[in-house]
Amino acid sequence: MKRIGKLTAAALSTVMAASVVMTGCGSASTNSEGSGAAGGEEAAAAKITIFQSKTEIMDDLNALAEAYTEETGTEVEVWETTGDNYLSDLKTDLSTEKGPTLFSLQPGAESIQMADYLEDLGDLDFVDKVSAGLADEVDGKTVGIPYTVEGFGLVYNKDLVDAEGFTSTDDLVSYLSSAADVNALGLSQEDYFLIAHIFNAPFAVQENPDEYLAQVLSGEVRLADNDAFKEFAQIMEAIRANCTNPADITYDGNCGDFATGKTAMIHQGNWAWSMFADYDMSFETGLAAVPIQGNDKLSVSVPICWYLNTDASDEEKASAKQFLNWLYTSDTGKDYLMNKFGFIPVIDGMTSDGIDPLSQSVADAVAADKIIPWVMSNWPAGIVSTDLAPITLDFFTSDMTGEELLNQLNDAFVNAQ
Amino acid sequence: MKISKKWFAVFTLPLMIIFTIVVVIPFFIGIGYSFFEWDGFAKHQAVWVGMQNYLDVLRDDRFISAEIRTVIFTVIAVVSVNLLGLIFALLVTTKMKVANLSRAMLFMPYLIGGLILGYIWKAVFSEWFLSLGIGNWLTDAKKAMAAMIIVTTWQMAGYVMIVYITGLMAIPEEVIEASSVDGASYWQTLTKIRLPLLMPSITICLFLTLSNCFKVYDVNVSLTGSGPANQSELFSLNIFNEIFEQNNFGYGQAKAIIFFLIVAIITLVQVSITSKKEVEM
Amino acid sequence: MNSKFKKIIPNILMMAFCLVYLLPIYMIFTNSFKSRSEMYENMMALPSRLTLEYYQSALSKMNFWVSLRNSLLLTVISIGLIVILSSMTAWMIARYKGKVSRFFLSLLIATMLIPFQTIMMPLMQEMTWIEKRTGLTMTDSIPGLIFMYIGFGAGMAVFLFHGFISTIPISLEEAATIDGCNTWQVFWKIVFPNLKSTTITVIILDVIWIWNDYLLPSLTLKAKENRTIPISASKFFGQYTISWNEAMAALVVTILPVIVFYLFCQKYIVKGVAAGAVKG
Repeated sequence: MKRIGKLTAAALSTVMAASVVMTGCGSASTNSEGSGAAGGEEAAAAKITIFQSKTEIMDDLNALAEAYTEETGTEVEVWETTGDNYLSDLKTDLSTEKGPTLFSLQPGAESIQMADYLEDLGDLDFVDKVSAGLADEVDGKTVGIPYTVEGFGLVYNKDLVDAEGFTSTDDLVSYLSSAADVNALGLSQEDYFLIAHIFNAPFAVQENPDEYLAQVLSGEVRLADNDAFKEFAQIMEAIRANCTNPADITYDGNCGDFATGKTAMIHQGNWAWSMFADYDMSFETGLAAVPIQGNDKLSVSVPICWYLNTDASDEEKASAKQFLNWLYTSDTGKDYLMNKFGFIPVIDGMTSDGIDPLSQSVADAVAADKIIPWVMSNWPAGIVSTDLAPITLDFFTSDMTGEELLNQLNDAFVNAQ
Repeated sequence: MKISKKWFAVFTLPLMIIFTIVVVIPFFIGIGYSFFEWDGFAKHQAVWVGMQNYLDVLRDDRFISAEIRTVIFTVIAVVSVNLLGLIFALLVTTKMKVANLSRAMLFMPYLIGGLILGYIWKAVFSEWFLSLGIGNWLTDAKKAMAAMIIVTTWQMAGYVMIVYITGLMAIPEEVIEASSVDGASYWQTLTKIRLPLLMPSITICLFLTLSNCFKVYDVNVSLTGSGPANQSELFSLNIFNEIFEQNNFGYGQAKAIIFFLIVAIITLVQVSITSKKEVEM
Repeated sequence: MNSKFKKIIPNILMMAFCLVYLLPIYMIFTNSFKSRSEMYENMMALPSRLTLEYYQSALSKMNFWVSLRNSLLLTVISIGLIVILSSMTAWMIARYKGKVSRFFLSLLIATMLIPFQTIMMPLMQEMTWIEKRTGLTMTDSIPGLIFMYIGFGAGMAVFLFHGFISTIPISLEEAATIDGCNTWQVFWKIVFPNLKSTTITVIILDVIWIWNDYLLPSLTLKAKENRTIPISASKFFGQYTISWNEAMAALVVTILPVIVFYLFCQKYIVKGVAAGAVKG
């Protein structure tokens, strides 16, 4: 394998040459045209474009953009896509240098992969007030500003089960095998709800999760030799033996079963609250930790961050930074973040009332420092949907043992390298 | 009739130039990418790997099984779509009072594009089937494939029906009448007279369904999402995952080229076989 | 009486079959009136109340009238150009038999087999490249998208027209040439009017494709004032869940114009063919 130099490129056929032009032209571009849209007005900063994956807030985000234009005169345009198409659209846009000014990514594998598209945001006014560890740093630079924090664990019905009372895997497993008349613990068929979230727990309870993950990836350690993972396998076996088959149920159905009292616990996060809105729920809900190795902490992290496109013009960058400053410090901006988007505060000193009970549990866990990280953000890109979920579905529809499950999952990690 | 070169250019070049810019050039750029290892980001260096991607594809079990599955899916779906479409076309060109109304109704599934249809069918095959005690079709590899074939047939039968109707209506009444005067049964008229005269439409429909089924993507994503255990993953989805989920752009392109060659060969064979059977009118 | 009865039975059977066949469409329609919890209770049941709530919110969130205008413009102009350019090309290829014709035809047909996903990134790179070099707005503009639709629609349209033209006798065209028509006039006065039924088939198939297309417009149309209906409806599709009632209400209003259009065309097909039969 050799790098393409000019000499070799010259020798290639026209077809290949064309593609070299296409791949190579991104390196030093500053995308100056189309940015001087400010026209004759002096005060208004350059127009910015926003592309982001959280479709749930799209309407409010459009309203926010209008509010911003009204207050400052700067035009903000929000692009749209479906949750599923976001990443491929973004990649295509960035590769054609037609990228948005501001966009969203999951911090971790995604932001590391795209590191050279991410502008340093270290000079934002409020950046040192972002709660410790929540801003996304790549290569020592602060590049991502968190939307919110989200947490997941066992969402439970307080009338049916005392999930806070589980102090060990044995407690949980014995509840799963003894619960009558009710589905004890619901997972659902979507990749993240089927495996990724619940599989985060055994990674996160390791003494040094990132180091452990690195060892798994390099094949130095095997999951099946680790106690936390053995307990995880026990839980999965107990779910298969006693609960509704996750392969048969969707996120919508799982939340419906929970909201109508047919399921005692679902492994979900605070975002699920919006799914309960249409139901008439007569019971209280709580959010408890998955008690692997006696764990009493919720998996909490930043699901997505704002990033600024390095290819944007200087005017656009300045304008986008003004926008972020406004969003996180002005009254209107904060009102949108807290009350319209329903986000959990990520800036020190910012508080939110009128938060839903699940988000409150997450906010409490953050305040009490009872949180474990999302190791899953650092898993190899795409591994959840292409490997982990199919393996887990296979597990739930066959008689594979828990140990075999661990070994197959383990192999997927090793092969992804 | 003599046509000058000038007129030939006037008539064909506008379309061919647009077509070349929009389809042919990007396709060749894609071929170019297939010789590189590249993750699809303009800022990241593409590394020349020569034929390596192609050699890897031939050793990629998951891709090969997706490919075999796609061929099986296509063969069955093409037959069922065309059979049903032809039956529909014959039914709605009879003198039945409801013929026109049912033609519109049978065509309706094709009007609904995109993913939502797959999600609706997903609810039918999983939740509704479970509630009826039939069991979840989407968690069984074979039944999941069957479900995809059913949905594809449901959606596309009305589409080919339209082309068959055009063909059936072009057959002169006198020909049919003459044969019935001669005492031919419905079945004889159908197989001896109508079907042979319909061969051009059949060639067209076979090709249209063949190319659509080989490329099927929406139904795969929304109905089975490649599950269970990737056992219903078809080619387009496999390549989409390779390029956009796993960021192997060059490798994904190599897969696309290989598959394109296979499909092109199969389709050319089909077209040349059926066109030979066409009757000149 | 008995024979009348015999005539009714096939009609009833046919209708019954059609209704069962449209069950998924029934589901789309009924669930556009239901709340999330009602849909969870029973997806197959009739809605408990007929509320236009979800239609109203879907229409306003989609910026419906602007999107409708864009979709109409895009579909009508693209298809008009596809029909004109493709029929011209197809006729030439069918009548001017030579290496170039055969090459054009096989090129057009072969590329129908390329999955769009594999060329979408090179295509967008090329369009941006053209835009930068020439200043023509290829991306984020409806004319640019129309240009791309002509390219993607060419294969199937030429294929269909070519298939039909090969079956019509050349004698009429020769007669017109002898009468002094030039090639341009021969095509528009003699050939094109004869292509009516294929033209309608092409129009119907392309209307549905372009009207419902999501991937290509989502890559090119970014600005709010340019969005088509499918792009505007995309916000109902989240990463994990779909806002079912709004998405289905959006779908119903999206396909209504197409259904109306199809019913209109259907009449026209029957008429056109009947008229042809009388003349012949």
